Amino acid sequence: MTRIWTTSGFLDNDPWDLSTDGSGEGARVLSLDEALELAAGSNEPIAVRIEPADDVTRLAPVVDRVVFVAVNFPAFSDGRAFSHASLLRDRLGYTGEIRAIGGVLLDQVPFMLRVGIDSVATSHGPTIERLAENNLPGIKLHYQPAAAESSPVAGYSWRRRSAP
Amino acid sequence: MYRYDEFDHDFVRDRVAQFTDQVERRLKGDISEDAFKPLRLMNGVYLQLHAYMLRVAVPYGTLSSRQMRKLAHIARTYDRGYGHFTTRQNIQYNWPKLSDIPAILSELAEVEMHAIQTSGNCIRNVTADHFAGAAADEVADPRPYAEILRQWSSVHPEFSFLPRKFKIAITAAERDRAAIQVHDIGLQLKRNEAGETGFAVYVGGGQGRTPMVAKLLNPFLPEEHLLSYVTAIMRVYNLHGRRDNKYKARIKILVHETGIDNLAAQVEAEWEHLRAGELKLPDADIAAITSYFAPPELSDRAEGWAQLAAWKRTDEEFSGWVGRNVAPHRHPDYAMVTISLKPIGGIPGDASADQMDAVAALADEFGFGEIRVTHEQNLVLPHVALADLEPLWRGLKAEGLETANSGLITDIIACPGLDYCALANARSIPVAQEISNRFADARRQEEIGELKIKISGCINACGHHHVGHIGILGVEKKGAELYQITLGGSADENTSIGEIIGRGFEPERLTDAIEVIVDTYLAERTGREEPFIDCYRRVGAAPFKLALYGGSEVEAA
Repeated sequence: MTRIWTTSGFLDNDPWDLSTDGSGEGARVLSLDEALELAAGSNEPIAVRIEPADDVTRLAPVVDRVVFVAVNFPAFSDGRAFSHASLLRDRLGYTGEIRAIGGVLLDQVPFMLRVGIDSVATSHGPTIERLAENNLPGIKLHYQPAAAESSPVAGYSWRRRSAP
Repeated sequence: MYRYDEFDHDFVRDRVAQFTDQVERRLKGDISEDAFKPLRLMNGVYLQLHAYMLRVAVPYGTLSSRQMRKLAHIARTYDRGYGHFTTRQNIQYNWPKLSDIPAILSELAEVEMHAIQTSGNCIRNVTADHFAGAAADEVADPRPYAEILRQWSSVHPEFSFLPRKFKIAITAAERDRAAIQVHDIGLQLKRNEAGETGFAVYVGGGQGRTPMVAKLLNPFLPEEHLLSYVTAIMRVYNLHGRRDNKYKARIKILVHETGIDNLAAQVEAEWEHLRAGELKLPDADIAAITSYFAPPELSDRAEGWAQLAAWKRTDEEFSGWVGRNVAPHRHPDYAMVTISLKPIGGIPGDASADQMDAVAALADEFGFGEIRVTHEQNLVLPHVALADLEPLWRGLKAEGLETANSGLITDIIACPGLDYCALANARSIPVAQEISNRFADARRQEEIGELKIKISGCINACGHHHVGHIGILGVEKKGAELYQITLGGSADENTSIGEIIGRGFEPERLTDAIEVIVDTYLAERTGREEPFIDCYRRVGAAPFKLALYGGSEVEAA
C-alpha cells in the first residue's frame, strides 16, 4: 500500500488525486500542459505533476498560483526529477509541497530532501519502516549548497551542514 | 598534498557508515540486487566474473607514502597480495569479499581515502596530469581545482543519478598528459592576456563504442566560475542526456545530436542564473586549497649533475633507464621519475603488496613521500634529486621495478579483459604479455621509439584502444576471440581516433601482425626523429594495409 511521508511524519488523509485520469479521490493533479491551459483560462490554484521530460521552468509565470507539485521518478536510475526540484526551489522560488512519486526507495530520500522535495509516496515495505523510525541513511555534511535548509560551514564557501 | 580536515574525516566516516548500512540491508533482503547495484557502484563495488571488485579512488592520481602502505596492507590482508592501477589513476582489488568491504573502507578512511564515486552514473574521480606540481611546462598546479571539483561533486544530490558516468580531467600544460579531449569535460588551466587564471573548457569527448574528440565549449572560463559553470553543464546533461539507450547516454552523444553551438547556448543560459550565486569561488578558498599543494622545499643539489654523468658512463643499464623513465623537473637539480608497472611479460598496471611497500619506502627516502599514479598505469615519483637517482634505481631494481620502457612499445595499456571482467568479449592481458615478450629486447624497443599500444577486451574501450597509436580491440566472432587493429589514435594535445585497418586477427596471428606494422613503420619513416604517429599521419594507412593484407584489400579499401 502506498504511504505518503512528509518531513513531519506520515500523512493519513492525502488531499491529492495523482491518477492521470482523475479516477482517484481528492483534488486532481494535472499534467504540465493541462495545468498551463487551466492557468491561462482561470485563476484557480494549480496542482501539477512533472514528468521527467517536462520543462519545469514553464511554470515560472504562474508559480505564485501553484499549490502542489509531484515530481515523477519512474525508475531508480532516472535522476531528472532532482533537477526539476532544484529548479522549482532555486530558480522559480516555489515554496509549496514537492512530492516524489514513482518507485521511491529509501536511499533516494536523503538526496530528495536536499534538493527541496519534502514529501514522498512509497509502497516499499522496508522503506516505510525506516521512514517510520525517522532513520534515514543520509549524511549531515555536504560539499555543495542545495535547496534544503542548511548552514554554511567555516572553511570553504561550498560546504554546508544540515540541521541535526 | 591535500590533507583532510575534521569535516572531511566526518564526511568519509559517515559515508562508510551509510554504505555499511546499505550492505546490511542488502544481505537482509531489504534491498533488491537491482536497487543495490547503483548504490554499490556509487561506492566502487563491482560484481565481476569471479568475485566482487573494489575500486579505490586516488584523487587526481596523488598518493602519499602512508597511503601507499595502506594500499599494500589491504592487498595483503583482504586480497591476494596485489592490486591493479587503472587508467583513471585509481587502484582496484579483484578479490575482496563483500562482507569485508566495510572494513576495507574503514581502513582507507584512516589514511584519508575512500571509494566514493569510482563507479556508477555519477561524477567520477577527477583525473589530472601525473606530473602536476613538478612539470616545467605548466601554468600552475591543476590539482587544487581537481580537489575543489572532487569536494563539490561528492554525494551531489542533483547529479548522482545521471544518464551515465561522467569523467572530468584537468591539465595545466599545452602538452596534454591527461587526455582531456577524451573526457566528458576536459579542463585546461591557462592564463589570459590580463594574467588572470581560468580554463579552456572542452566537452563531449569519450571512447566506448562511439569514440569522439571533445569540442571546445568555452575558450576561457575565469577560475571563480568553475563550479557554477560545471553545474550548468551537469544540469543540462542531467535533464537532456539520453536515457533510452545506455550506449547513447554519455554527454558526447548529447553534444553530437544537439550540436556544440546549441548546447553552448543552453549551458550559457543556465549559467546566467548561477554565475553570481553561492557557487562562485572566493579567492581565499582557492588560495587555501592551493596552499595544500605547495611543492616540497627543494634545496639545490647541483652535485647531482656530475654524479649522474659519472654513473651513466659506468652503467649502461642505469643510463638507459635514465634516458627513458626520467624527465626534467622544473628545478634543474631534480627529476620526475616514472616507475614502470609494465615489466616484460607482466600484467600492465599490477603491483604486488611488497612492491607497493617498496615504492612507499623509496618515496620517503628519495621523493618527499609523494607518489603519483598515471593514466598509463605506471607510478611516478615527482620530485627526485639527480643526486639520488642511482640509489633510487638500485632500490627499484631490487623489486623488479626498473623496467626502462616509459612510452615504448612494451609500455602497454590494457584493460582487465576476459580474465576478470564480466563485460569483456576477449582477453587483453595475455595479448599484452605476448606482445611485450616479442618486443622484449631493449635495443629494439629504443630503435622503434615512442609507440603506444592500447588494448581493450570489448567495445567499452577501457583499454583506450581508440587513442592508441596501435589500438587493439578484442571482439567475439562465432564464439572465438578476434582482434581488430586500429592505427593513428592519440590522446594528447593532438587527439585523434584510430582508424580500423582491416579485418581482425586470431589470437595466434595478432603479435605477428603487430610486428608487421612495426616493420612497416621502420621502413617508411624518414628516420628515428619521426615517431610512429607522425609517420602514420604522413604516409596514411595504405602501406600498412599492403603489408598486412597484400594488394587485394588495398584496392578494395
